[in-house]
Amino acid sequence: MKIVVCVKEIPDPDIAASVFQVDEAARAVVPVPGLRSVASPFDEQAIEVALRLRDQLGSAAISLVTLGDETAKAIVKNGLALGADDAYLLVDEAFDGGDATTTARALAAAIRKIGGVDLVLTGRQAADDDAGIVGCGIAEILGVPAVTFAMDVAVDGGALVVERSLGDGSETVEAPLPALVTVSHEVGKVRPASLRETMKAARQPLTVGTAADLELTAGDVGAAGARRTLERLAVPKNDVRCEFLAGESPEALAATLIERLSAARIL
Amino acid sequence: MAGKEIKGDWVWGWPDRKRPRSEFYKDTEGRVVGSRSPFLDLEGLITPTDNAFVNAQVQMPEPVHPEEYRFEVFGEVERSLELGLDDMRKLPGRTVRAVVECAGNDADFFTYLEQGGTGPKPSFELSEVDGIHWRLSGKKREKPIGDGESLVKSIPSTCMVTGGEWTGVPLSELLNRAGVKPGAVAVRLEGWDRGRPDPITLYRSAARTDFQVYDPGVINYDKGLPLAKAMHPDTILAWAQNGEYLQHVHGAPMRLIVPGWAGNWWVKWIHKIEVMDRMPDCYHQTHYFVSGKSPEDPDKKMMTALGCKSVITEPRDEDPPLARGEHVIRGMAWSGEGEIKRIEVSVDGGNTWHDAHVEYSPDRWLWKRWSYLWKVDAPGAYTILARATDEQGRRQPQTPWNFLRKHFDGIVPTHVTVE
Repeated sequence: MKIVVCVKEIPDPDIAASVFQVDEAARAVVPVPGLRSVASPFDEQAIEVALRLRDQLGSAAISLVTLGDETAKAIVKNGLALGADDAYLLVDEAFDGGDATTTARALAAAIRKIGGVDLVLTGRQAADDDAGIVGCGIAEILGVPAVTFAMDVAVDGGALVVERSLGDGSETVEAPLPALVTVSHEVGKVRPASLRETMKAARQPLTVGTAADLELTAGDVGAAGARRTLERLAVPKNDVRCEFLAGESPEALAATLIERLSAARIL
Repeated sequence: MAGKEIKGDWVWGWPDRKRPRSEFYKDTEGRVVGSRSPFLDLEGLITPTDNAFVNAQVQMPEPVHPEEYRFEVFGEVERSLELGLDDMRKLPGRTVRAVVECAGNDADFFTYLEQGGTGPKPSFELSEVDGIHWRLSGKKREKPIGDGESLVKSIPSTCMVTGGEWTGVPLSELLNRAGVKPGAVAVRLEGWDRGRPDPITLYRSAARTDFQVYDPGVINYDKGLPLAKAMHPDTILAWAQNGEYLQHVHGAPMRLIVPGWAGNWWVKWIHKIEVMDRMPDCYHQTHYFVSGKSPEDPDKKMMTALGCKSVITEPRDEDPPLARGEHVIRGMAWSGEGEIKRIEVSVDGGNTWHDAHVEYSPDRWLWKRWSYLWKVDAPGAYTILARATDEQGRRQPQTPWNFLRKHFDGIVPTHVTVE
């Protein structure tokens, strides 16, 4: 079985919210000095799903694909340390200014170029912009079924069996291969990389590709190919007010609290 | 560590051992307000600062610029003082290496031993499922915590102990300059950390929720140190930890170091030092951090020095079966009243005891590493125990069960199988 996992480099989502700022005029995130980049946690869990499938099936070839800049090397190297077999890094100035559509287009082209892929795995969404579009976009372009929000993935007799998270429950669906699955956090913990595999990954060459290598034109990718226009970028404002209720007894306090919550249409 | 794969990571771009990582509590803004030390992943006596445990009883304050930092010494003194960090650095300094342990560290072992080792065993292995890892996205809990009672039980009590090097000035140096008046008995140190004590911390300590807790309202964290301990030359006001200026979460610009006494005495973010002619009624020494048989016990006592304690770090219950041959049993030991002098190890559940090698260290307040080479030829199940003895001749355990489960220093069996 041949599996491709798409991985995105994002700013560390664990940074304090107070550190995160945007330049509203420039509609851009203000770079934070020293902020480290990580793989989107959902994508790491997609790698974990691939590894579990390899454990289940006995063998599977796992490739990683990422679209980014040179710094994304560290992200895919980490994926190799977790157990992937090879990695493809798509780097090209032509990709700059793209959106979910152009990203899906480039990743789908890379997956086609790899060839013979049975299963594509992505995170349910990137943990930076949380759009959750690229996975289904790849499936659409490749013409394969997409199964979203996977919390468990198995292969049974050549068919894909996916338990999907529904928020308040789950459902199990089947799909023929090839297919694309977006992976949700309910998959659970990612296995730790071993020192031995990390050292091996450090020496492993990556395959670097450009838009031209993927036979994509300038109009297919980057700002020229984007279909989304960013109108405004802003950090949501939380207007938190704290009111201490007064009352002569717990019963009176509770009555006042109920009154307030009802007025606020919370109850 | 036998049979375990070494974890890897990228350190400054190089493939390397995974650096020990603490598990964090964060506030709603993503700022760390608490952490547990990855106890089992560390080597040596000084805990790297990023791995030192973090705990605050009330809300952490906003940081103060070091150049704007001022604190006052007042009360039963001849001369009140107001000083800043630069003033402190002009005084004769002192560096102390000491272990700091949260009073509630390992509290769940009290319950484990009380139940005869039949209940779930607390672990030093930290993980998300312990209920303390609240990430902003991506790695959410696999299972919901549930009700308050479950929340209370889900927070691990382990890994709140740290060895460190602290640099500052003896508190006595300051008190002597201020001139302590005759009749003074205590020194109250107040931090900028302020808030209303959360009853859940008391419920967590007691592992029960069926009692009323005293509500002091909104308070600054403070402790009233008995004068004799305040004047001890190793009790220092520190602005540096492990060779670098103190980090905010550890009490910057300045905190108190009270070697041998539990972490709650090590007041952080100090802004007031009051010399008093009576023991103050600080909430955290008259209502919390007290010994007693029950919440209703009228004879509760404030708790000060830690007991005498050894912990086995290798092997662990979680390890795969051991092969016959030689194995090192090792661990750490510390005492609230000075140097550890002896460690004894038993591999037969306490029937016979053997002296372990205790590593030399010049620092009497710091913990000690110890090891025992175990030659085992017969397969079977083994129960390994260790007990420490300190320079005062106090042998582990010293602290009896108390309802808030503070200062645990019991002997915890490690169960291993030899194939």
